[in-house]
Amino acid sequence: MNVRTIGMALVRAAVLFAVATVVCGVLYPAAVGAVAQAAFPWQANGSIIEVDGVKYGSALVGQQFHDEGHLWGRPTVADASTFTGDDGQPLLWYGPENLSPASDEFAQRVQERVEAVRAAHPDQADAPVPSELVTVSGSGFDPHISPAAAEYQVGRIAAATGRTPEEVRAIIRQCTEQPLLGVFGQERVNVLEVNLLLDGVLDAVPNR
Amino acid sequence: MSAPMVTALLEAAALVALILAAAVPLSSYVVKAMEGAPMAARRVLGPVERGCARLVGIRGDGDSMGWKRYLISAVALTLVGAAGLFALLLLQGVLPANPEGFPGLDVATAFNVAVSFATNTDWQPVAGESHLSYFSQAVGLAVQNFLSPAIGIAAAFALMRGLRSGEGTVLGNFFQDVIRAVLYVLLPLALVGAVIGVAQGTPQTLAPYETVQLLEPVAVDAQGNAVDADDPSAVEEVTEAVVPLGPQASQVAIKQLGTNGGGFNGTNSASALENPTPLTNLLQCAAILLLPLTLVLCFGRMVGDRRQGRALMVAVVTLLAVGTVAIMAAEFAATPQLTADGAVYAGGFEQPAGNMEGKESRIGTGETALWTAFTTAAASGSSNGSLAGFTPLGLVVPLVFMGLGEVVGGGAGTGLAGLLGFVVLTVFVASLMVGRAPEYLGKKIGPAEMRLAVVMVIAPALVILGGAAVLVLVPAASQSAGADGAQGLTNLLYAAVSAGANNGSALGGFDANALWPNVVLGLEMLLGRLVPLACAIMLAGRFAALSPSPSQGAAISTASPLFVVLLIVIIVLVGALTLVPALALGPVALAVA
Repeated sequence: MNVRTIGMALVRAAVLFAVATVVCGVLYPAAVGAVAQAAFPWQANGSIIEVDGVKYGSALVGQQFHDEGHLWGRPTVADASTFTGDDGQPLLWYGPENLSPASDEFAQRVQERVEAVRAAHPDQADAPVPSELVTVSGSGFDPHISPAAAEYQVGRIAAATGRTPEEVRAIIRQCTEQPLLGVFGQERVNVLEVNLLLDGVLDAVPNR
Repeated sequence: MSAPMVTALLEAAALVALILAAAVPLSSYVVKAMEGAPMAARRVLGPVERGCARLVGIRGDGDSMGWKRYLISAVALTLVGAAGLFALLLLQGVLPANPEGFPGLDVATAFNVAVSFATNTDWQPVAGESHLSYFSQAVGLAVQNFLSPAIGIAAAFALMRGLRSGEGTVLGNFFQDVIRAVLYVLLPLALVGAVIGVAQGTPQTLAPYETVQLLEPVAVDAQGNAVDADDPSAVEEVTEAVVPLGPQASQVAIKQLGTNGGGFNGTNSASALENPTPLTNLLQCAAILLLPLTLVLCFGRMVGDRRQGRALMVAVVTLLAVGTVAIMAAEFAATPQLTADGAVYAGGFEQPAGNMEGKESRIGTGETALWTAFTTAAASGSSNGSLAGFTPLGLVVPLVFMGLGEVVGGGAGTGLAGLLGFVVLTVFVASLMVGRAPEYLGKKIGPAEMRLAVVMVIAPALVILGGAAVLVLVPAASQSAGADGAQGLTNLLYAAVSAGANNGSALGGFDANALWPNVVLGLEMLLGRLVPLACAIMLAGRFAALSPSPSQGAAISTASPLFVVLLIVIIVLVGALTLVPALALGPVALAVA
């Protein structure tokens, strides 16, 4: 092993690194970007639901809902200290809970969430609370809940919005996506879309 | 066994069958690509291949390297890549494509990230969406996402060529191998994957992050954390939220295919931006194991006896199946803390069953458990849920898979090399049992080969335990544990195992971005990568120099079921001896507490 061999190897490695940087670091993402912006512009730019110039959120990023007249999603752990907007205003962003489901702290939080959910749903009495309504998702901004977790809330939403339970269920069904081939993944309800329909902002689910 | 778990296991079996069905033709293609054989793709991309080869100074096909030059070249490319990425991360603030205006990383963080991506680990001390510019992600990290698996694939092919019997065995040219792996294997697959990702909803743009209107304003306290509206600590109402964008789809595709695992976003493929639908979840999950399993079949083709590859595949799939069932059982069982005396419903067909903490509604418990088995078996480390939300027993399998030193699939290339280390060890043990001279594929295994194989098998364990010891014993380092007692030990242990095994998955409670973990884990990643890589290439050189001996016949057929069983036993024994004491004090203690 001599210095010249090592030197040659380093030079060749540096050249290959430079070539790879151009091909894999610039040309590859640019090619994907060109296809993306031409063929799938809505998806490529964040699946933003925009109505009359107002951006109500991304179909892929959940929000926290507490209003009686809204469908509630997964609990979130959010902060407004990570990002600020153009005018210096704080922007909300999410993270996972990072608690072991075998810890006492977790047990206590679940207990609190169960109490809060049950207090808001007297019509469900002592029925078990669907687990997604008391657990934080992996991303912290899960845009979906299961149809069962949505069904649990139908009575409350109907009472608060003056709709019949059937009308609420129809809206939920409109925002429900099926598993792939009926098997892979889960049947799921997009919570933001349901609430935009409930509020009358949308009258149909966009881009599906 | 609950009904949802049966369904999930059937899905898992279907997915593995799908991967194997793809791996068979792909292995034939990869062998042709790496061996320079004529094929359709070469007629199209041949000029590009030759152009790159000329730039790097390769003189035609005869420019084969001895093991020393091959090894020096592999180390050189790893270090050049790490150094280049390190510089880029430090200079991030003045480089282009940084619409969020992120400053350069500090030295320790940049060192950790640079080493992490150059060693195919992709451990991330900071979340990408809040610390890294589009330039750093696409031009920095993604380039290593191509080069680091290509280095692994190259080393694996060198080893396969060394083991191939017969006429004038040569190891090949390292740089040519890397060019071929990127050009013919990684780039085309990544292009397809990225376009599917965008079609399903993953962003791919250079536009700045979106700001959106919240439907319900959220109250935050003085530290900026969201609280209930009626909470006395609320000081402000936030009415807008951010949607991180960027060239995500191109990154996600290669993150999965190259067993890299580093997400564009901190929450990786749990984020619906990176993994929007069941289809992307299925394809990404398959992509994690596609190349590791393909290379096992490539091995059979390369040594001219496909039964040899199939035998190794049986061992890998068996270990994978056992691990998958164990993780699923733990996650579907959930915990008493979650089910809260029946107040919370966590079972049944009509909704995601099991432990949904840290899991996404569109993915569910079964496919998150399956992904976690895949990502820790292969040295990927990407995740589609939060591992911190896993049950304590659900974390045991990931720790064991990683502690085995990436042999159950493993990293692209390095996994096969590690597995062959275990094979040599098994042949040796089996031969001694019947009193024959050990040989593998007609090549005698002497003391020198055994030394290399043993170092290769033991190195990851030593690196892992060494790193864990430092993290636990140095007070300044153990502050990063993020919890006390068994949970704290589990957090530290997981970090040390993940880094040493070049996996990169993480428990969220661990405070990764501090000086001690950045440096200790960075060194672990370097050693955990380079020591086994060097052993593999040296072993390749030793075997290549041996001409097949007119033998008395091997002691045991290495394609036989008996050998597969022995191999599994030895893998499990070594893995168990490495980690059992630490596991007992960490996750197992948590589970029984």
